[in-house]
Amino acid sequence: MKRRSIFAATAAGAAAALLISACSSSGSSSGTSSTTPTTGATGFNAGITSVVNPSSTKGGTLTFEVRGTPDSFDPGNTYYAWVLDFDHLYTMPLFGYKSCPGSCGLTLVPDLATSMGTFSDNGLTYTVQIQPDVKFETGVVVTSQDVKYAIERTYDRSVLANGPTYYQALLTDPTYPGPYKDRSKNLMGLTAIDTPNATTLVFHLQSPFPDLPYVLAFPNTAPVLPSADTGTNYQLHPLSTGPYMFKSYTLNKQLVMVPNPNWNPATDPNAKQLASQIVVNLNVNQADLDNNLIAGNADIDAYGAGVGPAAQARILSTSSLKADSDNPINGFARFVYINTKVAPLNNLHCREAVEYAANKTTMQTAWGGPVAGGQIASTIMPPNIVGYKSFDYYNALSQPSGDVSAAKQQLAMCGQPNGFSTNMAYRDDNPQETAEATALQASLASVGIKLTLKGFPSGPYYTNFAGDPAYVHSHDIGLAGGGWGADWPNGYGFLDELLNGNAIAPTGNTNISEVNDPVINNLFTKSNTLTGAARTAIWSQIDEQAMKDAVILPAVYQKVLLYRNPAVTNVYVQAYYGMYNYAVMGVNS
Amino acid sequence: MIYFIIRRLIMTVFLLLLVSMITFAIFFLVPRLAGQTAYQLAAQYVGRNPIPSEIKAVEIKLGLNAPLYLQYGRYIKGIVAGIHYNNGTDVSYCPFPCFGYSFRNDQPVWPQLISDAPVTLSIALGAAVLWLIGGVSIGVLSALRRGSIFDRLSMGIALAGVSLPVFFTGLIALELFSYKWPIFPNVHYVGITTNPLLWARNLVLPWITLAFLYAALYARLTRAGMLETMGEDYIRTARAKGLPERTVVVKHGLRAALTPIVTIFGLDLGLLLGGAILTETTYSMPGLGQFTILAIQNQDLPEIMGVVMIASFFIVIANMVVDILYAVVDPRVRF
Repeated sequence: MKRRSIFAATAAGAAAALLISACSSSGSSSGTSSTTPTTGATGFNAGITSVVNPSSTKGGTLTFEVRGTPDSFDPGNTYYAWVLDFDHLYTMPLFGYKSCPGSCGLTLVPDLATSMGTFSDNGLTYTVQIQPDVKFETGVVVTSQDVKYAIERTYDRSVLANGPTYYQALLTDPTYPGPYKDRSKNLMGLTAIDTPNATTLVFHLQSPFPDLPYVLAFPNTAPVLPSADTGTNYQLHPLSTGPYMFKSYTLNKQLVMVPNPNWNPATDPNAKQLASQIVVNLNVNQADLDNNLIAGNADIDAYGAGVGPAAQARILSTSSLKADSDNPINGFARFVYINTKVAPLNNLHCREAVEYAANKTTMQTAWGGPVAGGQIASTIMPPNIVGYKSFDYYNALSQPSGDVSAAKQQLAMCGQPNGFSTNMAYRDDNPQETAEATALQASLASVGIKLTLKGFPSGPYYTNFAGDPAYVHSHDIGLAGGGWGADWPNGYGFLDELLNGNAIAPTGNTNISEVNDPVINNLFTKSNTLTGAARTAIWSQIDEQAMKDAVILPAVYQKVLLYRNPAVTNVYVQAYYGMYNYAVMGVNS
Repeated sequence: MIYFIIRRLIMTVFLLLLVSMITFAIFFLVPRLAGQTAYQLAAQYVGRNPIPSEIKAVEIKLGLNAPLYLQYGRYIKGIVAGIHYNNGTDVSYCPFPCFGYSFRNDQPVWPQLISDAPVTLSIALGAAVLWLIGGVSIGVLSALRRGSIFDRLSMGIALAGVSLPVFFTGLIALELFSYKWPIFPNVHYVGITTNPLLWARNLVLPWITLAFLYAALYARLTRAGMLETMGEDYIRTARAKGLPERTVVVKHGLRAALTPIVTIFGLDLGLLLGGAILTETTYSMPGLGQFTILAIQNQDLPEIMGVVMIASFFIVIANMVVDILYAVVDPRVRF
């Protein structure tokens, strides 16, 4: 099966002004804000709109703790949200998100690049310059070939399996095997990227794609010196271009970083070099981690998914602790996929019956309630995505306990007046998803929809079970639990892999609903011909159409309760990551 | 004795081989029999949105496309003689004992096991000393003061120790002695060579937590054994001969009651050396137990195989040591 391709009509003379609007169209009351960011605010949720404890004081040891391990510290081999945030301490990708609180933090800005770059008139070529004086930690000057090599090495999934895979779909030369197998042309064998001089990169696209700069904001564009690339061992000591460099790393246990003497702050305004040392303790028990935070033994929970239930109760009930916490929407949405190919859910009215009957309140409780779980959702896109518009087709907000009479009406219309039976897949090692499945089972039973729950482990969930259409069809899996975070904070980054008909794949499928609506597909196609406000308006149209199709049952816009150690400086929530911005923190020692 | 040890070592090798076969069959053969293909297995280790050629490349790199008996043969060869491994960028040599490479992070398994083992050893051995001394002492005293307040109290506490799970007592211990009253603040593992005092200080709570569970069991076992032994005729004879009470209790009474204690000690220590999972998780100590949890969560088959082999090795060796100790404890035992 060929990789899905990104279609587009002719580019409408896309210009260099590709800067994404800093304003979220969100109407949400918390999570992100379109107000002007401030500094120095204190109290609960201060970190959402303000820089808490602003300081330029240097020194001290900043201690992060994490409840798991990274997928990899190799910037070309990671996809975990917290690592994408943390990477900015030792990498400079071509682009990044502006370091500021509030919706300002959704603004894409140049990082290693000197500007947002330019598209050719037909949108098939994109040219960008890099800063001429950025250095690796060894003092070697970064060149355009180092950036090209960084992208090249991600092509070999047998070596670097974890990271994003957009280049093969977007750029020409999709069958390039990677520099580990193709040693030709001095390891510069990818014809999709030209490096005419030491500071210029020219990307050749298969078809116009205005969001390319977003793709280039992933850390896999952080330069890699070919002579220093140790392949699978590169994760143990990636050469830094950021404010800090690796001093020692014991795999899955502890990382220690020290200031990079060859980092120039003038080249990297979105990062700071304040602490004398950064320590990251990995694989720490969540309860232990939370207590360490509150006791001051650790500074920040780098995982960024919020404190555990016991700590939540303690923090929210203690005014002094609550004043040092924030409760943002983290950009992640939890929902249930409704498969459009599994009978009787291949009938729109049966799907709508599920939408009406679901008890959103119990689903919200399953995810942790209004504080730690999230806001009840009525749309697929969460509020902090550019292009979000609020609407509520199935009374999720007005009747969060479910609309039984409307559900029964829909059942009658789909020829199942007494309900029907179907199976639901969920990840049984995820306690919240398990609780959500149980809650949904109970609420659908009230209208006669009998759900049989099928639990699967997280590891192969998307490759072998819920994300394998053949398995889904043969096992009558009509519903599947899941969630999604945007690869970049606009509608395309959030919705494309969920709803584009081209995204349906035989394994690792992300369009689990298997929606292939020509209206939605055409809107995606049209979006690649537009820019600015016209393009932004497309996303809510896609969201609305998908909800009219009832292909996804939104549960919550996820919120997290983050705790900030009062000793940490420059603390605020970076809207894109939905967690604190690790690249600017310091510590009062 | 020497021949006994040699025989047991040879049996150990065969036993470990059997364990490796069974473990390999569980994780590699049984899923195949259930219909899972090598391609499907490889798909778990390719990340998001893989295309078929990428999955196939990973399948080849991980050696999953080879027949199972060849995969097993390669695995055993790596353990006994080392093996060359193609990690995608070049071919590297993995020296003996090679337990393969992680399917997730492509790092060799053996160095990770070696790196984690000292943590588990520190926790297990320290706790073992505590529970042995504490449990046996309390058991002896309880037996000698049968029916007394001390006996009732100690057996009551022993009951609590046996009943309360490690993650409960551990969390209580942390809450009280690390967070509320910071007598042991910021508990985390420090290597003994880095700072012996900090190493010991940070292990006190894990030791006590683990020892509380086991000491309870040993106290009850010792008490039962002592009560039985102290009622024997030869004890009365020893007393009649005028031997000091301490000699009667320790040399004649306790020694005879030690056989079941030694047996169970070997099993318990052997099991713990394979990873004190609950204790390590509670105290966030990066030992073999945490390694096991991570390997299972990641479905990292080489790591799971490696930790099972190590745990089996410790259990088998511990049982051998126990059998040798029988001869020390009980002079009637000969090899």
